[in-house]
Amino acid sequence: MFVDNSGRRSKLLRRIGLLLGVGCLAYAAVLGAAFMGWGTSLTPSSLLPFGNGGPRDAQNSGPGGIQPQGGAGAPPARPTGAPPAGVATGEAPSSAPTATATAPATSSAPAPATAVAAAN
Amino acid sequence: MTTTTSRGRRRAPTRIERAAGKAAALQKPRVILALLLLLALTSVMLLDGYLRAEVGGDQRVRTGASSSQVPDDVLDGGPILTFRGGRATTVSVPDKTIALTFDDGPNPTWTPQVLRILREYDVPGTFFLVGSMVSRYPGIVEDMVEQGEEVGIHTFTHVDLSYQSHARVRREMTQTQLALAGAAGITTTLFRAPYSSETDAIDNYSWPVYKELGEDGYTSVFVDTDSDDWKRPGVSKIVEWATPDDGKGASVLFHDAGGERSQTIKALPTYIEKMKAAGYTFTTVSGVLQKQNAAARDATTGTTTGTQGEQPAELPDGAGAVGDRLQAAHREATGVTLYEGKALIAAVTLAEWTVPTLSVGLMVVGVAVMGRFGMMLLLARRHHRQRNRRRFSWGATVTRPVSVIVPAYNEKECIANTLESLARSTHPIEIIVVDDGSTDDTSGIARAAAASLGMTNVRVIRQENAGKPAALNNGVRNAAHDIVVMMDGDTVFEPEAVHQLVQPFANPEVGAVAGNAKVGNRDTVIGAWQHIEYVMGFNLDRRMYDLLRCMPTIPGAIGAFRRDAVLEVGGMSEDTLAEDTDITIAMHRAGWQVVYQEHAKAWTEAPGSLKQLWSQRYRWSYGTMQALWKHRGSLTDRGPSGRFGRVGMPLVVLFQIVTPVFAPLIDVFTVYSMIFIDFQAALLAWLAVLGVQLSCAAYAFRLDREKYRYLLMMPLQQFAYRQMMYLVLIHSCVTALTGGRLRWQKLKRTGEVGTPAGASR
Repeated sequence: MFVDNSGRRSKLLRRIGLLLGVGCLAYAAVLGAAFMGWGTSLTPSSLLPFGNGGPRDAQNSGPGGIQPQGGAGAPPARPTGAPPAGVATGEAPSSAPTATATAPATSSAPAPATAVAAAN
Repeated sequence: MTTTTSRGRRRAPTRIERAAGKAAALQKPRVILALLLLLALTSVMLLDGYLRAEVGGDQRVRTGASSSQVPDDVLDGGPILTFRGGRATTVSVPDKTIALTFDDGPNPTWTPQVLRILREYDVPGTFFLVGSMVSRYPGIVEDMVEQGEEVGIHTFTHVDLSYQSHARVRREMTQTQLALAGAAGITTTLFRAPYSSETDAIDNYSWPVYKELGEDGYTSVFVDTDSDDWKRPGVSKIVEWATPDDGKGASVLFHDAGGERSQTIKALPTYIEKMKAAGYTFTTVSGVLQKQNAAARDATTGTTTGTQGEQPAELPDGAGAVGDRLQAAHREATGVTLYEGKALIAAVTLAEWTVPTLSVGLMVVGVAVMGRFGMMLLLARRHHRQRNRRRFSWGATVTRPVSVIVPAYNEKECIANTLESLARSTHPIEIIVVDDGSTDDTSGIARAAAASLGMTNVRVIRQENAGKPAALNNGVRNAAHDIVVMMDGDTVFEPEAVHQLVQPFANPEVGAVAGNAKVGNRDTVIGAWQHIEYVMGFNLDRRMYDLLRCMPTIPGAIGAFRRDAVLEVGGMSEDTLAEDTDITIAMHRAGWQVVYQEHAKAWTEAPGSLKQLWSQRYRWSYGTMQALWKHRGSLTDRGPSGRFGRVGMPLVVLFQIVTPVFAPLIDVFTVYSMIFIDFQAALLAWLAVLGVQLSCAAYAFRLDREKYRYLLMMPLQQFAYRQMMYLVLIHSCVTALTGGRLRWQKLKRTGEVGTPAGASR
């Protein structure tokens, strides 16, 4: 019973076994890599071409789709010196690029539509 | 029983030899493959546990912590928090605008319903997805993104990040991004922390997490109005709670997963209709950001903020459709990220299939093991009572002489003992020793022993080495009597054994009888294991099979046949390595009854080392498979052959092949549960299984009046046997599939099993 003298079945099975072994190893490797986050860097800032340091510089020149219309929340067209984002246009300190972070609590109350505040 | 130990007979291997042997064994392809499979199984189980928060799960939720270190304008600010250039910036939702947000999904039941509602009302939403659920239900996420909804990260395992290390926080985010990449081909910059709510609930412990993630470029999204739908307060309450005051804008929280959400599904259309009627528009989180940017720019340039949700066309990248802008937080995943994500999804899919399959296997084992024990206890008791009843008899006492066939191949240590025990037989016998071409003068020793014992009924036949079946056939041909008793050359009979063994032949329907083999060398660990196994196998299994009339094997150590019946089925065959199983099945198919005679006891020497035990079992299980395959035709036969095929075969396949294959799952799941779920409960469940086995074994010991102290070895025996039988079975399956040859391997004997009567009773 069961004996195969040609050795063909054995060869086939050995190949299947090899494939299975490689599959198992690959499976464990994929899981290990996915769990530890090896091989990829997926933080949004690292997906940008300018890295962590220069989000502001990136704002006008971001390539298509990467730095779109404020998907990450910053006003796109205002790198420096622009008036603050608060609707109360004149009131916030104008020197700051955005509304000052440490603005007293009193100033954060009024703006009805936008309360863009910058904190440190 | 003499206690000559086997030590000293064979030189023990040196440490270097043993190490070399181990190294060689580890390099065998099948061992490597087995280890790789084990690795994959471990990965699958760990992954499954991780997805279900059994592995690395953390239920802690922080409440009531101080917020002294959180800036006030963040606490009082809008629900969208970013850290552009290291500055915390909050954005609130414009008036008359709703950003619908759904947490904890995707869920196969509720999320598609939510998506359908959003589609019907043409309203966009933002879904904060749990990565583990994304990886389990990637199709839903793909549909979601395609439909134009925006997605954000709600961590991978829904843990309170304020308790977690930097590394874990980072892993949770990356894993979820990978899952999103694999499921929908995107990554996202939006994030909502599990257990977060409004910005004023940010505390000193969660603030650093938002800060860190913000500096990584993530936008944290909080809540203005919480529908509290998870409390299931009823549709009207959900709608009421979700509605902001005085036409203000709001980021509104609903849940599309994490529990029963039918109320959410009911409330959602009502809510959307109500808000639309009140003049509200709906958008995504990115939509809110764009509105506010546009408003800010308009304010700067002095134009009126007339645009309502429509972005001016002069934006940097000249964005296209509205849908793109509503999904502005998405980034297309490419390259390694995309492929690794897809691989992760595939791995999860595989695990999602594997674990239920294994659970079914475990259930099969559970039912088979428990059902078998129940059946065995019931039938063994009935068998014991029936056969030991005072008035029970097989018929007129069988007193006519019978032939005893002793096949012997290099049995110089044992043959004299065997003959000596037969000399004391209370039944008239002729003894035919068939020397199967031994090279150690077995026949000479046998003749000398017979002469010295004064036995005149011993015939020694020499043949060229041709294997045990040929030797048995030779003996059967030379037997002078109509009943032949077959035994092994290393077995010792009790004086009553032959007499007891042949009594069932008083019944003309009985064609073969199985005796009760006992392990003589039971004082080693391996011997004790086999002793337990033999006592259970003979007192439970064989009694059960006897009453069910489908005994699969008459042990080679002690069995008796009608000579004519053996010749009728063609004698012992060399087709299989388990000629005893083969001939027993053949007897059944020829319509003979095969019974078990518990009082015919023979003492046999069990394999003394793990290696020998392995090769014996390997041969048995391979041989059993061969025999079953050889007799597969019985499945469709009529009459007694068909009866065996349809009753006996399935039982043998279930108990001797299926159960051993799945049995190690008991231990795998126990270990897994002990580590990751509930140590005590898992241990108790395992002990419960052991308890059932132990009580069955105790009953078997009682039926055979054996000493209970050997049962102490039982926990270890059960554990070790499960793994060993599994590996043996896999090994023989592989051999059968590859078509390799497996030869009879002679077990090394020491001749230590001596006079019988001493050890029992």
